[in-house]
Amino acid sequence: MKQLPLAGVRVADLSMMWAGPYATRILAEMGAEVLKIESPRAWDNIRTLVPQENAPEPWNSAFYFNDYNRDKKSVTLDLAQARGREVFLDLIRHCDVLIENYRADVMENLGLTYDVVTQYRPDLVMVSMAGFGKTGPERDYVGFGPIIEQMAGLASKTGFPEDGIPMKTGISYGDPVAGIAAVGAVVLGLIQRRKTGRGTWVDLAQRETMAAQIGEAFVAASLRGEDPVRRGNRSARWAPQGVYRCAGTEQWLAVSVRSDTEWDALAGVIGAAELAGLPLDQRRARHDELDARIEAWTAAQDPQDAMEALQAAGVPAGRVLDTLAIHDDKHLTARGYWVDLPHPKSPPWRQPSTSWRMLEANPQLRRHAPLFGEHTREVLSSLLGLTATDLAALESAQVIADAPINPTVG
Amino acid sequence: MSDLPLDGVRVVEVGGGISAAFATRWLAGYGAEVIRTEGPAGLLTPDEEVYLLAGKRRVAVPDAELRELILRADILVEDGRPGALAARGLDPVALRAAKPELVVVSITPCGQSGPYALQEHTNITVHALGGIMSITGMPHLPPLVNGGSQAYQLGGMNGFSAAVTAYYGALVQGEGDWIDISLQECAAGMLELYGPRTEHTTKEAHVRMGNHTSATWGIYPCVDGFAGVCCLARQVPSLYQVVGEPELMQEKYLDPLQRLENDPIVAAYMYAWFAERTRAEIIALGPPNKVPFAGVFTPGELLDSEQLRVRGLFDQVSTPSGVAKVPGRPFLGFEWRPLGHLSGPAEDTEAVRRDWLGVPA
Repeated sequence: MKQLPLAGVRVADLSMMWAGPYATRILAEMGAEVLKIESPRAWDNIRTLVPQENAPEPWNSAFYFNDYNRDKKSVTLDLAQARGREVFLDLIRHCDVLIENYRADVMENLGLTYDVVTQYRPDLVMVSMAGFGKTGPERDYVGFGPIIEQMAGLASKTGFPEDGIPMKTGISYGDPVAGIAAVGAVVLGLIQRRKTGRGTWVDLAQRETMAAQIGEAFVAASLRGEDPVRRGNRSARWAPQGVYRCAGTEQWLAVSVRSDTEWDALAGVIGAAELAGLPLDQRRARHDELDARIEAWTAAQDPQDAMEALQAAGVPAGRVLDTLAIHDDKHLTARGYWVDLPHPKSPPWRQPSTSWRMLEANPQLRRHAPLFGEHTREVLSSLLGLTATDLAALESAQVIADAPINPTVG
Repeated sequence: MSDLPLDGVRVVEVGGGISAAFATRWLAGYGAEVIRTEGPAGLLTPDEEVYLLAGKRRVAVPDAELRELILRADILVEDGRPGALAARGLDPVALRAAKPELVVVSITPCGQSGPYALQEHTNITVHALGGIMSITGMPHLPPLVNGGSQAYQLGGMNGFSAAVTAYYGALVQGEGDWIDISLQECAAGMLELYGPRTEHTTKEAHVRMGNHTSATWGIYPCVDGFAGVCCLARQVPSLYQVVGEPELMQEKYLDPLQRLENDPIVAAYMYAWFAERTRAEIIALGPPNKVPFAGVFTPGELLDSEQLRVRGLFDQVSTPSGVAKVPGRPFLGFEWRPLGHLSGPAEDTEAVRRDWLGVPA
């Protein structure tokens, strides 16, 4: 059976929240062994970010944590204690990759800079992914996803023209964007190590990977001094384009007409044959009127039926799938995208499979997210040879633990 | 000897949209030799061409010759319709059989299989299918597409990282793979807590919340534009200290659950505080107080950013209209080849035929 591309790669994962864990979820999907390392005192806040009423072990049952940390192993180590730091550095000897997304100064404060960790593993690939990078006058800024998209220019391009308000994405978009790029950084480091024998320290600023998502806007700004134009859902290139209300509560359909042919087809489907033949300049000039005509039709349509009717006529259309409908989308279902993954501390729920479908290696979700510290003993004994006595001493000193020492901190 | 991590790696880009062009842009910058075969005219705007095509060799060759080029490459990235390559005699399965180490990355709106696979989509219609749009925008307005072309861009960024991952696998194991990347799936797997919460707990669709997930996680008007704040529960007391309203230091505004019940009151304080300050004044208060503040900046303003200048983010691309500045290396730590030269369509055909196929000029 064909192996996954990162089989045999071991990752020490100090990342928390979403950006780093999103990266390491992909690394795990691609076959890497990911050791998620958390301190019993300073653990991943995502475990309790969303309050869970009456949950006996909220740090183990959080869907937010469990969705983005599946296929990983959980190891606890208090890096602020000398013994914890010592064990961590011993563990690094056995790892190919170290990844962290702390604020820029945290690894320095822990005494775990690249210079230090490479004394233990000289060819280590280390990826740091602070919001604004490790250098420069803004290195100490604190960043979460919405902060990143404001500071990188994306929010200035998103919004409706009428109200003048720049809009943030409904998710913390900066996080997964940085996470996807970080996987590339990790693997480039592995490629370079294979070629040269050298390790690498990558300084990834989440703001900069986000700026790369709107590169064409920097061209416009630098060549012509243009500021972004917020167009709502309309297109600068073709018309009509918009998001139209459908039958039902909060049901919507996106429609995008790129050509005269597509316009004529749309006009036919919505019963506006008299508007067929309208050229692009007229479609632009009469956009409001055309929007009203389109919505007069969609408002009586089921969004799925409307999408399929327009698609059958060759018109680009996409149902705005909400967070409920997307889990029952027939296309994603047919592709086996949602996977019902059991978890010992939570009811099963459908989770997304990998977005990188390697058609031959065929990556599959392998295991639910680990329980807090579930693999501490296994990893420390198998890799470092620690004995039961050693582990008991670590537990007694609260260097390792099976539950957070301060479970109310989040 | 070059220290570029992808020095010596050969890449063919077929298709011509944003997704394939973005994926190969980063491959080119990190040292791969990228040749781009032109897709249908007009897929990219002139500004997108400047950003996405600089540093690549642009060729136009018959399909039989393109096949030979692909078989001399390490990575093929394409974003055409499913089946389009096979119809041209370039079936990825056959290419992989002919060259097992070859990596093929196919980026399409909905993937290579399934009922939507052959649908027609643009950035906005496939973004709609990915779920993010349903929770972006104001609750009283239609769902809102992101600025730029984020569905396509996400496909491109996933394409880059997937390509190097499979290439690494080929180096280690001797075999590449064919990677099927769906723009819909790229988005559907990153619905933050909202997708999992719906499926796991609420069984209800998440509603759009505009610019305010809560009063302490949102964007506000300020003196010279808009600025934002995003606080975890542990950062909220520091935010209140910065805002300087003793009224806020009460349990009903500090406790995570009670705070949400009193969110409009907290928001009123925030509106008032932000309205009296500039973006720079607000952002400067972040590091000393460990409060995550932001300003909404335009790309034009970012071109003058001291932080981005010091870190050397921007490349310069020579164009007939002048020198464009574009985001260059995505991260520091590897040598990067600035992508400054923009070839014209098919300009490099003869040179590539000579260098890759040994065809004399």
